[in-house]
Amino acid sequence: MRDAFSRCHPVVNFTYFTAVLLFSMFFMHPVFLGISLAASMVYAIWLNGGRAIRFQFLYMLPMLLLVALINPAFNHEGMTILVYVNDNPITLESIVYGVASAVMFVSVVIWFSCYNAVMTSDKFIYLFGRVIPALSLILSMVLRFVPKFKAQARVISNAQKCIGRDVSNGNLWTRARNGVKILSILVTWALENAIETADSMRSRGYGLKGRTSFSHYRFGQRDKLLLTTLGLLIFCVLAGALLQENSIQYFPYIKINAATARSVLVYTAYFLLCMLPVGLNIWEEWTWRRLYSKL
Amino acid sequence: MQAKSKSGGKRLNKRTLVASALILLVIPATIVFGIFVLNDRKYYLISLLIIVYTMLPFFMVFEKRKPQAREIVVISVLAALAVAGRVAFFMLPQFKPVVALVIIAGVCFGGEAGFLVGAVSGFVSNFFFGQGPWTPWQMFCFGIIGFLAGVLVQKGWLSRNRVPLSIFGALATLLIYGGIINLGSLFMTTPHFTWQGLLAFYVSAFPMDLVHVASTFAVLLLLSKPMMEKLERIKIKYGLIEPEPEQAL
Amino acid sequence: MASLIFEALSFAYPQAQRRALNEVSLTIGNGEFAVLCGRSGCGKSTLLRHCKTVLTPHGRRKGRVLFGGVPLDKVSFRDQSEKIGFVLQNPDNQIVTDKVWHELAFGLESLGMDQKTIRLRVAEMASFFGIQKWFMKNVSELSGGQKQLLNLASIMAMQPELLILDEPTSQLDPIAASEFLETVKKINRELGTTVLLTEHRLEEAFPMADRVIVMEEGAVIADGEPSTVGDMLKEASHDLFCAMPAAMQIYAQVDGPAPCPLTVRDGRRFLSSLWPENPPAFRRIAVPEAEGNGSAAVEIKEAWFRYEKDGADVVKGLNLAIPEGCFYAIVGGNGTGKTTTIHLMSGILRPYRGKIRLFGKEIQKYRDNELFTNLLGVLPQNPQALFVKKTVRLDLLEMLSREKGSKEEKEKRILEAARQVDMEGLLERHPYDLSGGEQQRAALAKVLLLKPRILLMDEPTKGLDNAFKDKLAGILNRLKAGGTTIVMVSHDIEFCARYAGRCAMFFDGSVVTEDTPNRFFSGNSFYTTSANRMSRHLFENAVTVEDVITLCRQNQNQAANA
Repeated sequence: MRDAFSRCHPVVNFTYFTAVLLFSMFFMHPVFLGISLAASMVYAIWLNGGRAIRFQFLYMLPMLLLVALINPAFNHEGMTILVYVNDNPITLESIVYGVASAVMFVSVVIWFSCYNAVMTSDKFIYLFGRVIPALSLILSMVLRFVPKFKAQARVISNAQKCIGRDVSNGNLWTRARNGVKILSILVTWALENAIETADSMRSRGYGLKGRTSFSHYRFGQRDKLLLTTLGLLIFCVLAGALLQENSIQYFPYIKINAATARSVLVYTAYFLLCMLPVGLNIWEEWTWRRLYSKL
Repeated sequence: MQAKSKSGGKRLNKRTLVASALILLVIPATIVFGIFVLNDRKYYLISLLIIVYTMLPFFMVFEKRKPQAREIVVISVLAALAVAGRVAFFMLPQFKPVVALVIIAGVCFGGEAGFLVGAVSGFVSNFFFGQGPWTPWQMFCFGIIGFLAGVLVQKGWLSRNRVPLSIFGALATLLIYGGIINLGSLFMTTPHFTWQGLLAFYVSAFPMDLVHVASTFAVLLLLSKPMMEKLERIKIKYGLIEPEPEQAL
Repeated sequence: MASLIFEALSFAYPQAQRRALNEVSLTIGNGEFAVLCGRSGCGKSTLLRHCKTVLTPHGRRKGRVLFGGVPLDKVSFRDQSEKIGFVLQNPDNQIVTDKVWHELAFGLESLGMDQKTIRLRVAEMASFFGIQKWFMKNVSELSGGQKQLLNLASIMAMQPELLILDEPTSQLDPIAASEFLETVKKINRELGTTVLLTEHRLEEAFPMADRVIVMEEGAVIADGEPSTVGDMLKEASHDLFCAMPAAMQIYAQVDGPAPCPLTVRDGRRFLSSLWPENPPAFRRIAVPEAEGNGSAAVEIKEAWFRYEKDGADVVKGLNLAIPEGCFYAIVGGNGTGKTTTIHLMSGILRPYRGKIRLFGKEIQKYRDNELFTNLLGVLPQNPQALFVKKTVRLDLLEMLSREKGSKEEKEKRILEAARQVDMEGLLERHPYDLSGGEQQRAALAKVLLLKPRILLMDEPTKGLDNAFKDKLAGILNRLKAGGTTIVMVSHDIEFCARYAGRCAMFFDGSVVTEDTPNRFFSGNSFYTTSANRMSRHLFENAVTVEDVITLCRQNQNQAANA
């Protein structure tokens, strides 16, 4: 599916994900957790479609259960003892806490799956090209070499097969040896050929003073608007965090602030922040429909 | 590049300076901040920040000295080999040559190159497998193993022969990689630290760690000698040892 | 004004006795299109690398190079980067970054240009070279021809005054190669950029050139307009002629009026001028009987193949029978399924329908070690895919590592294999220090150690110059005489016409036509050799340059006798 947010300026993408990921990692309040999990799932499904649904059910659901179980197994704090297992108390608080941390972990992983779809390598290289020029060039080169080397590894393993060294047969040790042979051929090939790459770089003036960094991204009006919105929402959430709107106590007993008008405001800001890309997509969809209906 | 770290004693000092500033001031400050301000998530945040602080001086020094084209190419090729190398072992699932290649890089080109090759391959492999909260941990583990290999060999505390290298590789994989990554997974999944929990993580990850150890050991045993010869050849043939002639501007 | 001047330049590589360059003095004028030719190892690449300080090899040197009247070592790195563009041989190795747009901007970033200028330059280049469609792609998605075009474009983005190209098309297929050379011509004609090119596709490069420079053993032996150079070489009856375009070869061997023809069109006129009134008396050349009438070594029956379940078929109902002891060439355009067919024959890929038999037995029924010892040898397209050791000798020995036998015995077999491919003198060299043709032969020696009865080769002449091709042909002929069946996939029509026993044309996943090279090529009208295209109005079945020369001489002798 085409994602409108992916087409925004990398600075907007990166600010959004940094904020959302950090908030998701540190807010243990159930409302915040719920918003983050729900928004991450919706955006992941928007981005990756059926693959995201499969991923969430096949991997994230068992992961959630597993992580939720780990905590009560090792953490015996809390006042409300439900049952004793091997003389260890299992408490209500630690179960709730386990579920909360599981939700947190899972939503972080799902957010990262969205991050991976939106923040492609060239956006990353663009963002850091000025700060760490040499490393971001290395990054770009490694990304160029990896597919090349993988293809060559396949060529080499076919060539090995054609001289009677079928690499997929034999016991573990033989296979490891065959693998190392392929790798060894690949290493020579890669190193010897890369010298020409270095020549090509220097031939095009790499190493001159004052290297700049080109990108085809443009920071437009919409990006400005989005970034301002992001900033406002982040400010609201942070202010809420300072005012303890996101705090909750799990041990020794669960204590949570009652919802007030102010806290609802902070929840809304967090919800809007998390749903920003989805909102943008809906907005764009709606604009298109309207344009078409006029035609 | 080995020669470079020798001639660049000043640079080494600078890195030591930045590193010690970080260790003596910033890290304790982070810990204090974490304990007093973030009660629930302190372990994860503190550990993450410490990892970032450790990596920063390497990156900063590398950027600062404006590396030459050849050096950049060699680091990129080695990191890409570490990432792509897995394809060579398609017949052995879970067989990962990354640590072995990073160690060889460190031994041949010094600690700094070892660190960079490790950190970059940790980062880039996640472009293919998916970035996640584990990315900095992997970068750190691979990087520090490469750094250690380089420094230990340079100081003469580790031999370049294949058997000691393989043993070093196995230990590094088990203790440094396994040790740190499992700690990281614990911090990532549950904010509440318990020793039993940590033990459970180590025990459950042990079989996979063992496969990893075995693959590092095997690759180093079989590949370290020929690969070092190949790298030495490259160094000599293309003048990586002598500094490149300075170009007038 | 002169763009580039070599003043008595001599050069020797470290530890080398012989000079790689010997007193080379040349002046390349501004806006000139100069082609530098000579056989492999004549020093042309070494000379080109002296045109740019960062690429200049280490070694002992005398004489100097001037760029724009200034000694090269006085020209700043910045000016050299900007004004002297250099395209190297291998399209893949020159690409630095992972995105097409980033690669285009790489040089401009180095020069420190601002965002706006780079944007404009990159846009200009993308439009000039027709790159817009793949502008945002990853470089790994490009074809070889596109990659080389990208390399050229990313250099032209810096707007160099001098463009140097070192065998830029040697790794490309013929269509991509002509497209590339046409672009170079366009750059020279429309932008006035000075071009200095080494190339072995002289057929196409000569007509574009203002000037041809011929080198031999590190020295310039001929220099001038293309047709003048032809006359010079004809007078000296130099054996370098075997590397020249077909028309020039014929001109050199047949008495006829000057000027020296360069293109097929000129050659056609030249031949016509020999028989202005009556057509020649002898119009057919005697051809040897079709070879390999034995039983089929490789037989493919109704084979179908596709790479992905939902993909398109690549091989479609292919029927093929390759007789034992035959040198069989498969020709055809890109993407017609030729390479896939080689993979099918080697068992790397399997058809989803149809049968493949080797010596009457289905390929799947062979066990792996049966298949690849004493039966099937496969020479990979890139010989570098086989090298693992630090010398050729160790690499050959590695092939025998699994076999029993004494050391002396193995040593004997290695020497024998080396002799088969004329490499006895190179056994102690590192495989990567060999030239392309030598690497090819070293890889062939590795494969021959397995004593294959069928040898499969994928484009073995790619990147080889004519001298190396002749050498390869000699080796293959010896193998054929020893009873080996040779199957080759190739784009190299001239090579197939001259040496193959049978040719098959592939199109759309199967064989369209199949015959002896003589009948095959004299029957085609486009997809045929230049000698044939040049002479088909006079002779019925002259396919190679030798055929044309023989017929011309026969006719001229007869006319003289009459």
